[in-house]
Amino acid sequence: MLDKLVDRRVLASLEVCVRCGICTESCHYYRSNPKTEHTPYYRAEQVRRVYRQFLDPVGRTFPGWFGAKATTDEALPKLAEIAFASCTLCHRCTFECPFGVETAEIMRVMRSVATATGHAPEMLVELANAAIARGENPDFFRDFYIEQVKELEREVQDRLGSSKAQIPVGQEGVRILYVPLSGAHTIVPQAILFNVARESWTLSMFEVANYAVFLGDTDKAKRIAKRITKEAELLKVKEVVCTECGHGYPTMRWEAPKWFGHTFPFRVRSILEVLDEYVRDGVLHLSPAKNGQPVTYHDACNLGRKGGLYEEPRRVIRAVASDFREMTPNRLHSFCCGAGSGLVAVPEWTDIRLQAGKIKADQIRRTGAKVVTTSCDNCRYQIGELSEHYGLNIEVSGLSELAVKALS
Amino acid sequence: MSTFEMVAAGLALAGAVIFAAGVIAILIATQRRPYNTELAPIKGSPAQGVLWAFTLGMAPWAKESGRIHWIAYIRGVIVHLGIFVGAAYLIATPWLAQMPEPLRFSLAALFVVGTLLGLAGFWIRMADPTMRLLSTPDDYCSLALVTLFLASAAMSAYAMKYLPAFWAISGITMAYTPFGKLRHFIYFFYDRVFLGLAFGRRNALK
Repeated sequence: MLDKLVDRRVLASLEVCVRCGICTESCHYYRSNPKTEHTPYYRAEQVRRVYRQFLDPVGRTFPGWFGAKATTDEALPKLAEIAFASCTLCHRCTFECPFGVETAEIMRVMRSVATATGHAPEMLVELANAAIARGENPDFFRDFYIEQVKELEREVQDRLGSSKAQIPVGQEGVRILYVPLSGAHTIVPQAILFNVARESWTLSMFEVANYAVFLGDTDKAKRIAKRITKEAELLKVKEVVCTECGHGYPTMRWEAPKWFGHTFPFRVRSILEVLDEYVRDGVLHLSPAKNGQPVTYHDACNLGRKGGLYEEPRRVIRAVASDFREMTPNRLHSFCCGAGSGLVAVPEWTDIRLQAGKIKADQIRRTGAKVVTTSCDNCRYQIGELSEHYGLNIEVSGLSELAVKALS
Repeated sequence: MSTFEMVAAGLALAGAVIFAAGVIAILIATQRRPYNTELAPIKGSPAQGVLWAFTLGMAPWAKESGRIHWIAYIRGVIVHLGIFVGAAYLIATPWLAQMPEPLRFSLAALFVVGTLLGLAGFWIRMADPTMRLLSTPDDYCSLALVTLFLASAAMSAYAMKYLPAFWAISGITMAYTPFGKLRHFIYFFYDRVFLGLAFGRRNALK
């Protein structure tokens, strides 16, 4: 199995590390709790030793000399814990390493092995399976879903003061298929903005979250993504717009075409790009003074470092808030919130992620911001908890909500 | 040529042959591995990403880690510079007698600094608990070989009588390279290219 998972890119990362230790302080786990197990090269080395045993003939021949190590029944749970609970796949260490070792990709391989051998966190497996079940039985959920959407539509109408405002579902031939998360906060603000912008859009039956990505289970991840691509093709939309979700956007935009082996007949964008377009085209009448409190932005690793969305959210924030303050470091060198890649979904890891988020809490505190905006649901939840845990006394908001508040 | 010189030259040549064969084998094995071609429409520029990966992306001052570990960075840069110059110097050694003395002595000075920093590498590796824990015999052997390579290069640049020793050590080092950690020099190019391509196309390298 390892043989199939180690592609050229992962192989390069496995082979190029010289264990120089320069990556040490790049990790938010280490910064918050400095110990050997929290260094990126320690984590990667645990998998590298298994690789040497199984895939490197020289390592296998001289295991003591090259540090090759066979996986045992006792070792697998430990490796799984390292991959799932001690690394958020944020990729920050990659850009601090002199060689560019992609420890996150090595950890992803380890997650795949752990999932295949039954050592993945049960909660993540269940969430992935639930998403697949929903995709397989859409009719079972449809009526209940539409009923819920109608309630949200009434909320949108109330907030806009217009009975014409709509949340269309399953509408063919529109420009945008908007894919939310399960939660009104990823439907109502966006629906308000779409209505104000007179957008041609329809709401997806499914959510953009793809927990199989966290498991490193490509087969399941593909099945979950397939629900959305199939819906987009059936409705003949021009583009799929992913909500403010950290992993959902890069999954649909960058990873899914690789799984399917072809490009999609529709464009994939993040809602951040659409909002940026609205701001640029002046279709929303915004008043930054309505968000007068100091605002800072947290770059979700998946959207920024792994998704290339740095300037789009910043342009929107400057258009909707009057006092925008950057965290330092930011963009490519931004720190993870501590809850990425599925950590937030596993209750047993609450203490781990709250501790790992200490550096983010310190960053937020230094800005003096009263509002932290971020466009990833996991980050948003985590930063809310960090606020309570570290006494930050801040409000956490999605960017769409902030934009709605700024509507004139 | 004395017998000792002939044996040393033979060792260097044999080492070079093993090195070349090993590098070719590694390249073939690597190329046989699958490569997941990116299919999504690009947002940035893969070519600019690769350019970034070999320029600003490697600049120590552009990284937090470069500022924290500036001594280790400078050490690494000088040792690697010494090794690359040493490799070129090895190819030039059959014509060492024609090399101007100031150039030889300048090279000797660079190799001495490289040697001292190579020796410092042992101290760094053993002083840090995490590095000590993760280091394998291969790490120490590789460091010893390149340090000896630089030391013998310095000696031979200073006095030609040490040239056979440099050849012999070079041969052993080259022969070992494809099997141990020293082969990272091949993967360095792969890794930087993959990094530049993957993140450049996403427009993430800012």
